[in-house]
Amino acid sequence: MTVAAGIGYALLALGPTVSLFVSVISKKPFLILTVLSSTLLWLISLIVVSGLWRAFLPLKSDAWWLYGILLFTAVAFQEGLRILFWKLYKKLEDILDAFADRVSKPRLFLTDKMQIALAGGMGHGLAHAVFFCLSLLTPAFGPATFFVDNCSRIPFFLVSAIIALAFVTIHTFSMVIAFNGYAERNKVDQYFVPIVHLVAAMGTLVNFASGGCIIGIPILYFVTILTLLHCGKMVWRRLTEDRSRQSNSL
Amino acid sequence: MESSILDSIGVEIVGVMSPVSICMLLVVLLVYSLSSSSSAAPPIRTAANLVYMENPSDSISQKLEGALLNALVFVIFVAIVTFLLVLLYYYNFTNFLKNYMRFSAFFVLAMIGGSIFFSIVQHFSIPIDSVTCFLLLFNFAVVGVLSLFSAGFPIILRQAYMVALGIFVATWFTKLPEWTTWTLLVALAVYDLVAVLAPGGPLKLLVELASSRDEELPALVYEARPTVSRNVENRGPPLGLLVAGVSDSGSVELQAISQENSGRIQNENRGGTEFTAVEVGSFVNERGESGEDEEERSPLVGNTRGRLSLSSDSSDYSTVVAAQSSRARPSGGAENGEAVDEEMSPLVELMEMGNEREVTREGLEISNRGIKLGLGDFIFYSVLVGRAAMYDLMTVYACYLAIISGLGCTLILLSVHRRALPALPISIALGVLFYFLTRLLMEPFVVGTATNLLMF
Repeated sequence: MTVAAGIGYALLALGPTVSLFVSVISKKPFLILTVLSSTLLWLISLIVVSGLWRAFLPLKSDAWWLYGILLFTAVAFQEGLRILFWKLYKKLEDILDAFADRVSKPRLFLTDKMQIALAGGMGHGLAHAVFFCLSLLTPAFGPATFFVDNCSRIPFFLVSAIIALAFVTIHTFSMVIAFNGYAERNKVDQYFVPIVHLVAAMGTLVNFASGGCIIGIPILYFVTILTLLHCGKMVWRRLTEDRSRQSNSL
Repeated sequence: MESSILDSIGVEIVGVMSPVSICMLLVVLLVYSLSSSSSAAPPIRTAANLVYMENPSDSISQKLEGALLNALVFVIFVAIVTFLLVLLYYYNFTNFLKNYMRFSAFFVLAMIGGSIFFSIVQHFSIPIDSVTCFLLLFNFAVVGVLSLFSAGFPIILRQAYMVALGIFVATWFTKLPEWTTWTLLVALAVYDLVAVLAPGGPLKLLVELASSRDEELPALVYEARPTVSRNVENRGPPLGLLVAGVSDSGSVELQAISQENSGRIQNENRGGTEFTAVEVGSFVNERGESGEDEEERSPLVGNTRGRLSLSSDSSDYSTVVAAQSSRARPSGGAENGEAVDEEMSPLVELMEMGNEREVTREGLEISNRGIKLGLGDFIFYSVLVGRAAMYDLMTVYACYLAIISGLGCTLILLSVHRRALPALPISIALGVLFYFLTRLLMEPFVVGTATNLLMF
């Protein structure tokens, strides 16, 4: 069970991301760099948030409302960071377009922009999975496992891998939604993303109740699927619009 | 559908980052799997802790003082060796330097590699008899030395051996005591900065010396060559064009150098002075292409480059200036010395990649896409990550990200300044900063929330 279990937990959390990375991102070096820089940005945000809260730690484990405030500040900070990331991306897009003009290549396609957004989101998701799940997995490679009190039926590592998978998916695709929302100035998309993030984070508060993870995880996955559907619908709409515009112009 | 520009941007950066990542990953795995088995390894004595042997029971001030002294002694040692190398190089003892490098590469591959191999065999109880083991090891080392220092081997083999050298030395260095490691890393980063950038710094002297002669010293420098097949094909005997700088420990240099398509260069050389009209025509085509090529890659590494190369079209033939630095090792025959040297030599260079003749005309300098990273960089990055691995996986990830982003910054600076740059300072500073931030701030926070199944 030992090494196999550890690898299994890691793949459970990161499997979809890894396959997405291999099939889409790894072919384009620029996207790899985007993933890395977005991961770094998320790490910095985590360090800043933890720096803010460091003085109050450890929180009493019964003070769930304190954790609620903590989650709220963290989510708010990260959503602020997303806007910063968008501004940076905007500048980068201008540079890339200018560069493309200079070498007389086509400007960024719509799919390119979406891939950059995907890579940025994946960086966020990857950082989440790495720091909240993978880095705690070390004991799982040993002979024992670990249970937390509130969720005593499922090993802690399994629960955290499952939750991490949900958050990786949310982070990855909500970045695509957000970038598209900013680009189209679509208010719905712009508010959709922070709300989804907040709901997902607050949903994990349910885990405080004894046996709460039975309820918390389905809520989380409901939000995840909602994000996926919304993202899929939006991308489909954009692509068909784009195609029809192209065929009109030809 | 036309290919978008995304396909081509950043190739060389990833080309440098991926071997560094592989090196760090393997070092972390080695440290992880081996440290658990031999937890009570006897402390090693090297040039890096001549003065003070750290003892876990010492007080903090004692440890700090001892570690600082160790780092100081080590850096002074490295500086002396570097100056010695500059002197040797200045007086053209090139053969001595080459043979010395071959010897030390062999030594590292066979001895340090061997000892790591043995501990792997022990730890996983691999059944293997001593004769086979010796034979394998000897072959491994000999092939390594040949592929590192002679032409005609696939570049991938050479790169693999370069990474292997980095892994061995880095793993060996993670056995240093904790405080000494940290002060040493910081001291080397500072030394690197001074040696490469300050006027009269030994590495700067070496690079200048090397580029003033048009020759190359064999150096343990990782070359990221995006166009592997072409270079392999074109690899002739070295024409003595490489510029060699011998750099010493700790120094990493990034150097932007111009490179032309090797095919073009060769044509040029062959063509000699008279080009027929036809040749000129074909050149223009070729040049146009390659110019575009370069341009394409350049937004991240060197915008100026592409433009320059385009401008060279109108002017005459291309000029290639290669600069490179090599690293030198200290000549202490002892094991310690060896390891130390190995460790010491990080150089990062953007370099002319081929061995083709370097042609400088009209003083135009075009940089090309070969980026060279000194082995020392590999080693010290990996030492930092390996040391972080002894604490927790979280610090490993944070340090990895910090080092990689530092390397990215250095590469971007390289494309702006287009001269040899030290690759250690930014990465090491970020790595150390993130290590302590993660350990002090982030870990209690993340563990506290994650064990309550709270995530965001």
